[in-house]
Amino acid sequence: MSHETTLSPTPIDPAEVLRQFSAVVAGAGAVVSFTGLARGTTRDGQPVTALVLESHRSLTLRSMEDIAADAHARFAIAASRVIHREGRIAPGEAIVFVATAAPHRRAAFEAADYMMDRLKSEAVFWKREEGPGGARWIEPTTEDAADLARWQNAGGTDAGRTDHARD
Amino acid sequence: MAELRPLSVDLYGKLADPCGRVITISIPAAGCTAGELRALLAAHDDDLARLLATTRVLFCVNDRIVAESDRVMPGDDVALFPPVSGG
Repeated sequence: MSHETTLSPTPIDPAEVLRQFSAVVAGAGAVVSFTGLARGTTRDGQPVTALVLESHRSLTLRSMEDIAADAHARFAIAASRVIHREGRIAPGEAIVFVATAAPHRRAAFEAADYMMDRLKSEAVFWKREEGPGGARWIEPTTEDAADLARWQNAGGTDAGRTDHARD
Repeated sequence: MAELRPLSVDLYGKLADPCGRVITISIPAAGCTAGELRALLAAHDDDLARLLATTRVLFCVNDRIVAESDRVMPGDDVALFPPVSGG
């Protein structure tokens, strides 16, 4: 069982990271990956010139590692890889990459989905959209909370996780 | 009058908008609680006071999230976090 979690100040190459991950987990029955990309417009359609992700020097990576460790405790996965950008991100660039490997596909899909929901709602980042009209902080939404709530009493491969609200 | 010591506080996310990312305030040499620190920061600037009144804030002291009743001492590494992530 292995997991590797990285905070990257420079652009991510999702295809290359997936290639390396797939090589390391050769023999696993299933590999699932997800890449989140910076959008070129805000939710209400205004242009975005950059997304800026502020992080904390120790708590940001620790929050990502906790999420990955919880995914390994909860789902029957053999390996995972998480990379999250920090700093200034141009539209179209990858913000986050998650990959999981498992003997069977269901655990790989669910673990990747679970990690993304928690990364989106609990990882220690502060996000700002910059555009021609100025900058705007992105606040947590009820949708993020609903995504997170999906996992609070889910069945499936859940191995009786105790709840674990961060701070 | 209690002896005072300077304390630098790092402000993250939107909390940095009114006065920048780092504020230096004076706290008692014997320390204060995180909750008292919030009041001292609010007294420092009106815009920051408004933001602190309407934002759920976490206190990070020496790389650990602490409770409002926990003690902050001069020389501690102190940061205030608004709600994280989202979008």
